[in-house]
Amino acid sequence: MPYGWGEHTGELELWVTASSEREVFEEAVRAMAELLDDEGGERQSRDVAVAGADRAGLFAEWLEELAFLAETEGFVPERAEEVVLAPAGVTARVVGHRGAPPHLIKAVTLHRLAFEPDDGGWRARVVLDV
Amino acid sequence: MELRQIDELLWEAEPGGRTDLRVPARVFADSRLLAAIRYDDSLVQLQNVATLPGIVDAALAMPDIHAGYGFPVGAVAATELPDGVVSPGGVGYDINCGVRLLALPVEARELRKRKEKLVREIARAAPSRDGGLALRGGALDAVLRDGPRALVERHEIGTPDDVARTESEGRIEDADPAEVSDRARTRGEGQLGTMGSGNHFVELGRVERILDPGEAERFGLREGQVTALIHSGSRGLGHQVCTDFVRRMDAALPGYGIELPDRQLSCAPASSPEGRAYLAAMAAAANFAWANRHALAHGVRQAVARVLGPATAARTVQVYDVAHNVAKAERHGNRDLLVHRKGATRAFPGQPVFIPGSMGTSSWVLSGRPGSMERSFGTVCHGAGRRLSRTAARERIGGAELRKQLEAAGITVRCASNKGLAEEAPFAYKDVGRVVEVVERAGLAVRVAELRPIGVVKG
Repeated sequence: MPYGWGEHTGELELWVTASSEREVFEEAVRAMAELLDDEGGERQSRDVAVAGADRAGLFAEWLEELAFLAETEGFVPERAEEVVLAPAGVTARVVGHRGAPPHLIKAVTLHRLAFEPDDGGWRARVVLDV
Repeated sequence: MELRQIDELLWEAEPGGRTDLRVPARVFADSRLLAAIRYDDSLVQLQNVATLPGIVDAALAMPDIHAGYGFPVGAVAATELPDGVVSPGGVGYDINCGVRLLALPVEARELRKRKEKLVREIARAAPSRDGGLALRGGALDAVLRDGPRALVERHEIGTPDDVARTESEGRIEDADPAEVSDRARTRGEGQLGTMGSGNHFVELGRVERILDPGEAERFGLREGQVTALIHSGSRGLGHQVCTDFVRRMDAALPGYGIELPDRQLSCAPASSPEGRAYLAAMAAAANFAWANRHALAHGVRQAVARVLGPATAARTVQVYDVAHNVAKAERHGNRDLLVHRKGATRAFPGQPVFIPGSMGTSSWVLSGRPGSMERSFGTVCHGAGRRLSRTAARERIGGAELRKQLEAAGITVRCASNKGLAEEAPFAYKDVGRVVEVVERAGLAVRVAELRPIGVVKG
């Protein structure tokens, strides 16, 4: 399973595994779509670009931007295309739909934040404040 | 983790080889609550709080403590001003999440079939996400500076009496709207007067029993009366303020030579540029949160007017409003301290305190006691405290089944999401009755009234 939800008493812990760093970012979009649980509306896309000092920080910023778009524009991400990873940034075209997602994600925390090699691939972990 | 008993209801976590603790980590609990508390990482997180530069006396936890991120939820940490640190994570993302209680001039038995209609109207008037006031520019700045007072004076929402019956009169001084980022303003746009999701709610209750008649009379509560309990915070605006400053302080840590066991504890001296800027932005977000609950209360009164008549709405009185996620400069003894309350409620002697239970269980009205000043920096718990994760709660019951159970218990439920409803199932929380009993036995507050839920609008 490329992503899943860990046990956390108060919040939501998301873990993502993939064979490459780029795919970790792609899988995280699918996790967000599941979490927001919003039925389809008008098809839309957004060009997303975020920066971060390290991979873990960049991963947090990536999720933060997706949550921001959901809350402020009702944009529900479904998949990421044309993902380009640089040492301190990521750009992508995120495809999804316009809907009415819940304002569920308050923030992406730095608690237990990780992005590391794992069994020949990569594994990321983040705790979301919900 | 090994614990040493200090007295009947106070326990200290043994350092267990840790050399980075500046003060002890202590928790108020009885043995049964302690068993639930040890279920997760909350006591390790409390020890992490005890490493913060400038912390005094002890990192304290209330009996509703559970694991959070950085700080556990249910924690109190006081740092000495001016150079002790301020930690945005010690306030939390939902800056000034809190609770407001309204008392209606009607008895629950008088509502009869109008209860369902009242719950439905409250759901319309206190939406979870859309339909709030869209304030921008100077109008938003006025709310960030002055809190609910700006809504009374500029928009004729609520009354001056509501403002007077609010912790700190709904305004932390030295709020600076200029420290609130454009991104935070964008998130907060249109959200004033909305509940949000998660565990936020408006709950209609009935005063089930009075335990302290004198304090109940002073608070304006009587047996059988209908109440409305509002739980919400600073919405996206406050969440973004915290995000902005956790990141900013995380980057600034090396410059101050601060090493932490968890990045989410990121902090800076309160007197530093980062510390001062955060406190000014946090105060603005806290004022926004008080204005948010003020606007939600206005919505509840409008619903009351539609169902029970304008005269009943006009006599619907605010009992009080308390914050449970905030940092405040306070004088304790001969020290000027910055008291972080993360999932913990200020409880100065004689001050009303509201402790929500969970859907289906009682909520409580308490009154602060002098013991809180002596033992907990004037603080008590904030709720029942989660016992199970959201996933575990969903695995045990479906939202539709829970809805049936609550309705069978006489509780009218309005919630758009069955999934969200299941996550807030009563069994996911500790026994709130036991939590408030510990608070009372520890001398921090006294129980005044028990409120039984009769209707819930969940965000």
